[in-house]
Amino acid sequence: MKQQRGKLGIREYVSIAIMMVGLKATEETPARLYNMAQNAAWMIPLLSAVFFFIPLFLLIKTMSLFKGENLFYVVQKLLGRYFGFFVCLVIFVLSSFAFSFDTRDYSNIIRAFYFNTTPLLVLFAILMTICAYGAKKGIQHIGSVSYLIIFYVIISFIVALLLSTQDSNIQALLPIWGAGKLAILKQSSQRISMFAEFFMLTMLVPYLKSNKEFRKGTWIAYFCVSIQTSVATLFFICLMDQSLGGMGYPFHTTIRYISLGSYIPNIEIFFFVIWIMGVFIRFAAFLYIIALMFGHIFKIKDFEYLIPLLATLYLLIGNMPNNPIEVAQELKPLIGTISGPVFSAIALLLWLSALLKGEFKHAKNKNSM
Amino acid sequence: MQKTRTVCKFLLIVVIAFSLTGCWDREEMEDKSYVIGLGIDRSYHKGKIKVTMLLANPEVGSQQGGGGSTEKPREIVSFDANDIIAAKVTANSVVSRIISYDLLKIIVVSEEFAKDPKFYNILNDVVFDKEIRMNAYLAVSKEKAAKYFLKNKPRMETRPHKYFQYMIDHGIENGLIPDSTLFRFFKTTDGGADLFLAMNTSAVREKHPKFKGEDEYFAGQLNASGEFDDTQFIGSAVFRNGVMIGKLTGQETSMVNILDDTTNMSDFFLDIPNPFPGKRKSFAVRVIKKENNQVKMDLKGSRPKIFISIPLKFEIMSNPSRIDFAKRKNQEVLKKQIASHFKTELEKFLKKTQKELKGAPYPLSFYARKYFGTNQEFEKFNWTKSYLKAEISVYPEVEIIDFGKSPKKNLKVEK
Repeated sequence: MKQQRGKLGIREYVSIAIMMVGLKATEETPARLYNMAQNAAWMIPLLSAVFFFIPLFLLIKTMSLFKGENLFYVVQKLLGRYFGFFVCLVIFVLSSFAFSFDTRDYSNIIRAFYFNTTPLLVLFAILMTICAYGAKKGIQHIGSVSYLIIFYVIISFIVALLLSTQDSNIQALLPIWGAGKLAILKQSSQRISMFAEFFMLTMLVPYLKSNKEFRKGTWIAYFCVSIQTSVATLFFICLMDQSLGGMGYPFHTTIRYISLGSYIPNIEIFFFVIWIMGVFIRFAAFLYIIALMFGHIFKIKDFEYLIPLLATLYLLIGNMPNNPIEVAQELKPLIGTISGPVFSAIALLLWLSALLKGEFKHAKNKNSM
Repeated sequence: MQKTRTVCKFLLIVVIAFSLTGCWDREEMEDKSYVIGLGIDRSYHKGKIKVTMLLANPEVGSQQGGGGSTEKPREIVSFDANDIIAAKVTANSVVSRIISYDLLKIIVVSEEFAKDPKFYNILNDVVFDKEIRMNAYLAVSKEKAAKYFLKNKPRMETRPHKYFQYMIDHGIENGLIPDSTLFRFFKTTDGGADLFLAMNTSAVREKHPKFKGEDEYFAGQLNASGEFDDTQFIGSAVFRNGVMIGKLTGQETSMVNILDDTTNMSDFFLDIPNPFPGKRKSFAVRVIKKENNQVKMDLKGSRPKIFISIPLKFEIMSNPSRIDFAKRKNQEVLKKQIASHFKTELEKFLKKTQKELKGAPYPLSFYARKYFGTNQEFEKFNWTKSYLKAEISVYPEVEIIDFGKSPKKNLKVEK
């Protein structure tokens, strides 16, 4: 039962990308941003997007030299066999930890707000099973499902934010510079890990129809996601003002707070169902990409069979931290602060070595011939 | 082979169906008791609080038509506990069903305990609880909260959640009580710059309340007679940094609601001194507030100046002097009268907040924020202190949109 290699369209790719990065606005990210820059927190996603634009742009430029090859192929080609292997391994390990702690974090949210008595391990295991099942189906299936639900996810998100305006105060955004201009700049440079998933998404290049589509899709998704995160943070600030800093998961607190008049007071379940579908897609895609990395590093062709195994491994890793705070306040930021700079550095390194090796000239010559 | 696969798929569906019950979080309606009202009092034991729970029976009223349950709609339990969260378990030694805060509608605190600095700490547990929603209301009762729930026996709405919902919703619409959700409470207290108003309620009527002007009552003072509920929702309790420091009457609360753009007040009725000759000294108007206030500030000088202009629409509901409002002159007189009445009342009230309450009773500091570039500058400005010396002027923009049903009925009848 060999899976045939279909191709991803640009819309599927964009929806996967939006799901993978955009969902960050629904976890603790806005609260963490608020703690960094107070009421100017909504600027951070925009500014970090500007900062991360440079490495991402260089990476995509380098990738375009090798038509239809994925990130790891490019890394090994440019950095040599041994050093390339090492870099690939670093990327793989970092993404693995990010995946384990992210899934654990989402299980924590589900347990905290919706299933209070169910043991965490059970919820976590169910989440992993579904993601593994989704990932096993292949990226084409993930892509089409994500395109199916992306509109529901976005619309429900917008509806939730709009409903929250009933009780929000736009003046909470003022003073406009919040903690100060310098602080905002400093914090935004530290939050580039917010977009680190785009780095991993370059693994999917071979699945896209053309390099141009990949480039276009990435920029569309990048633009949407940075705006989305910023707007979400802005709405949360307007709604909660200074309480946002102490809040664990603002999105879920918001959907529990908002209501449709006194006849339909408690509507969080609508948003929860759509949100959880988005979460499944996000982690299925994530898991698939990691399996792809693993397969590439260790030269395993049918890497799809590894997915259940990897899922189990990540379940065990993710289950190691004792409590949700450890995950949300220590481990995730730790991975974030490492992965952001490391990924940017790798992108720069790739571009530099391509430049020094004269690959750009090669490509030009090829084109002119 | 095909058969085995079909069977396997079928089995999988059956297994998935089992998970629909929610695994460990399976809940039975019959087995649940929802806390609608939560009372917090000071306890006689050191370091403890007295918790009162008003529990609703979800089975009552849920069935249409006949055959409904004959069980009682509510249960009330009071006991001493360390905090409100662990109290859930303690209450189970008395209540047969699983207790849940999921539908908590109102938290009632006795005035005595609200003035205790410990109160904010106790209430802060609410933020950590996973069941309590932040749109529950905070109310302050004159008597002990335990007594309040016992005394409160609604006649028309026996289901407690509906009773509180209607009572509070209509009170907020009429502007007599503030929109005091827990969410607003924590938002204001975390902000720290302004005062918070919680609704004032009481289920014990004062024996011989003095007669006062329209709505100038605290809860429990309205001298109504007849057959009705003893519970009254009127006026508000003022909190600074989570500790109660004073009280406002119903009328003052409605003034705050006029000034505050963030509440959901729709429209309310008011008596205004009659500018025309006649025996009756006041006439009734309906005040409608649809647009937001304009607040301008001049914060440069040693005494900050605050200018508030309030767009208000009025409908004249009575005409005791039988004035012909078709004449422009009479319209102008009326308009002027309303504007000056509002101006003096509001300015007097704001002065009172500066002198007695020492803080703005609604998020006025938000308007000051735009004059500063960063949070540090705003903190340096020190809003709480500056507000006390601020010079506040109020400009009501009066627009009369309706002069009543029969504007032209003339003086003839009277003489």
